[in-house]
Amino acid sequence: MSEQSKKYLIQMKNVDKYFGEFQALKNINLEVERKERIVICGPSGSGKSTLIRCLNRLEKHNKGQVFIDGNELTDQIKDINAVRREVGMVFQSFNLFPHMTVVKNLMVAQQLVRKISKADAKQRAMHFLERVKIPEQANKYPIQLSGGQQQRVAIARALCMKPKIMLFDEPTSALDPEMINEVLEVMVDLATDGMTMICVTHEMGFARSVADRIIFMDLGEIVEESKPSEFFGNPKNERTKNFLEQILTH
Amino acid sequence: MAALNGWWDDYFWGALVIFQVFFCSLGFMIIFGLLGAIAKLSANKLAHKVANAYTVAFRGTPEILVILLMYFGSAIFLTAVAQLFNPEVKFVDIPPFWAGTIAISLIVGSYATETFRGAFLGVNPGSIEAAKALGMSDIQTFVYIRIPEMWRIALPPFGNHMLSLIKDTALISIIGLNETMFVAKQAITVTGKPFTMYIVVGAIYLGFSTVVTLSVMGLEKFGERTTAGVK
Repeated sequence: MSEQSKKYLIQMKNVDKYFGEFQALKNINLEVERKERIVICGPSGSGKSTLIRCLNRLEKHNKGQVFIDGNELTDQIKDINAVRREVGMVFQSFNLFPHMTVVKNLMVAQQLVRKISKADAKQRAMHFLERVKIPEQANKYPIQLSGGQQQRVAIARALCMKPKIMLFDEPTSALDPEMINEVLEVMVDLATDGMTMICVTHEMGFARSVADRIIFMDLGEIVEESKPSEFFGNPKNERTKNFLEQILTH
Repeated sequence: MAALNGWWDDYFWGALVIFQVFFCSLGFMIIFGLLGAIAKLSANKLAHKVANAYTVAFRGTPEILVILLMYFGSAIFLTAVAQLFNPEVKFVDIPPFWAGTIAISLIVGSYATETFRGAFLGVNPGSIEAAKALGMSDIQTFVYIRIPEMWRIALPPFGNHMLSLIKDTALISIIGLNETMFVAKQAITVTGKPFTMYIVVGAIYLGFSTVVTLSVMGLEKFGERTTAGVK
């Protein structure tokens, strides 16, 4: 554990990732400090999701090093589970457990992974359901909820684990337009609260108002990395300019 | 009907034996089916081959033959072992109840292997990823996520497997298990009324299978409560 890797909450050093012959990530270097809010954007297939999935080992990187709060992600299952406890993740397709009620969805990992008592787990679950403004849905099953509600439950489920970092993998892409805002509001609320966040998203309004830094990826590389004002006002790379033209003028 | 007088208690005890065999073999069948499915889905090549051999052998041979081979095979083996210690021994067998129960569990378990394998593959991979991302171990994910999602998918074909188990108990009479078929055969030699005696057996089996079918329908309803409308 180097001094430098301790300074950052997340550090990726020269990370490469292959799917067979295809190189999904090329020499990724990324440092994220505590309370930083990062938005990753880029065309589809650019490696955005793969990058954040390498941060909790849902994908295994092939070269380089990944440090989470000073702990390196290795093949040791003990290290992997230790990192996963600290890293919350929200998926595009919500991925709630369909056979459990909303409140059980929030309790199960607390009890099994954090070894919290049932009563305390339930209390914490209700606390976070209130935070995402749907405590009245606690005893319903996921299928009975709208997409926006399901995604808010998924965010609450991740928060129940008291993670140090939250990863969002296109959290609003599977939602009907009228439900996007209710999810973004929750995310803005989290950001204001000082949560360290990495969001893969196409919501440029959210990126502009919330992000400390925007990372633009293309073909598995980080092409540009800058503050929102610079990113939108004065993009340096040709590829970034093209991308912005396409998504901002639609 | 008068011919049945005096046989009711034998039928009752025979029915009880069916119930016992069904219950024990249900447990074993689930275990064999789960082990087979896990082996078929595992990356371990040897486990995969063993499971394949198992399903090919037990799905590809007549059930009555498996029961006979299981009973006489184990008896020959046990007799040989016993004779090593005491040459006076003539014949040792495992009780027909257990030989038959294990045999039909293995047979139906080979079908259940395929059912469970398909059902495990049907579990939403997103649920598994979510469990991993929350830091749940493989075993916790298996017990709390995979199994509860899998059984809902497996239930309709699994109901058929349970009916097979019930009906296969009738075959065990061939190695001397005193269930209702065995009772009927005895009654026929005494009374000379095969139709009457066999129709009672039919009614008993129909009673059992109706209870099983209704239970499966109830379980399906319970399962659908949470997943109705899931695409």
